[in-house]
Amino acid sequence: MAYSDKVVDHYNNPRNVGSFTKDTPGVGTGLVGAPECGDVMKLQIRVNLETGVIEDAKFKTFGCGSAIASSSLATEWLKGKTIDEAAKIKNTDIVNELKLPPVKIHCSVLAEDAIKAALADYKDKQASVTTGAASK
Amino acid sequence: MFGLPRKLVVDSAELQRRFYALAREHHPDFHQAAPAEERARIEATSALVNAAYRTLRDPIARVEYLVRLEEGRETKEGDIDKPKAPPALLQEMFEIQEALAEARSEAAKGALDETTRATLAEQRESLRARLKDEETRLAGPLSARWDSAAPAERPAILAAFKEALATRAYLRTVSADLTETLGGDTEAFGRAIEGRHGSAEAPRTRGGMGGHIGAPHQ
Repeated sequence: MAYSDKVVDHYNNPRNVGSFTKDTPGVGTGLVGAPECGDVMKLQIRVNLETGVIEDAKFKTFGCGSAIASSSLATEWLKGKTIDEAAKIKNTDIVNELKLPPVKIHCSVLAEDAIKAALADYKDKQASVTTGAASK
Repeated sequence: MFGLPRKLVVDSAELQRRFYALAREHHPDFHQAAPAEERARIEATSALVNAAYRTLRDPIARVEYLVRLEEGRETKEGDIDKPKAPPALLQEMFEIQEALAEARSEAAKGALDETTRATLAEQRESLRARLKDEETRLAGPLSARWDSAAPAERPAILAAFKEALATRAYLRTVSADLTETLGGDTEAFGRAIEGRHGSAEAPRTRGGMGGHIGAPHQ
């Protein structure tokens, strides 16, 4: 099986590797794993609290080339999107862009799960900030 | 196929005895004089017997097979329940991988210092011990519970199987990755490759194309 040029490119030059401090306001963290192979993926977004736009995204993935490429691509796509737009990113979009073969589709699913988890974490945090402020 | 009760806890000596009998009965070498059609049928049966035995003789493979069977059933009802490892485990595995990635880039600059090496080796030992515990629990008490469970209890045990299998996958991967960095112990390394990502790509999955962000090593 050959990897597509795009996978190789993202693998050799992963975009947005790194992390934000979890507790920073506006940061949402998604940590997911693929039980089939033991890969772990952390994806974080930093949302502008006023505009609701994702200003920055970072990832760290320990896994195969496709998992790295999927999450690298996801962070590129997330930047500049609102959280509602971000929720619409589907694993099939990643599959098409990276031309992932059937055996690697679970890597793109992992990236979609990571996005969802990061968005959910962000929303949870916002909700608790709001209730915290209201109870004061 | 082997005429044994459909249970997870299997009498392995009896299974082996019946496998030998079936394998002899359906061995292609003993049917060379048969018509082509008959020989093809025998070959297919023989392959099936072998595959079945390979799955059933391994207590963990038995559980995996059962989960697949039951999943197929669930999928039909449109209820796909993805296996999930406990979040704390994911967090822990992620942290070990991060430390490992750091150790790798240190190692790339020069030798891995002894303290780091000792810490990583210790971690690997502890992960391996947990892996063994998890496998023992799967093959032993959990399998026995399934066998004696009422139908209503089965979904809960199935979920426990899936969680244990997922936990096992993470522990295996991370301890194999530790081994890759620490060197030595080729046996565990071979197992890791075999257990990872199927065989559809380059043989050295982890060390080649598959790797770690930040420190790709070709």
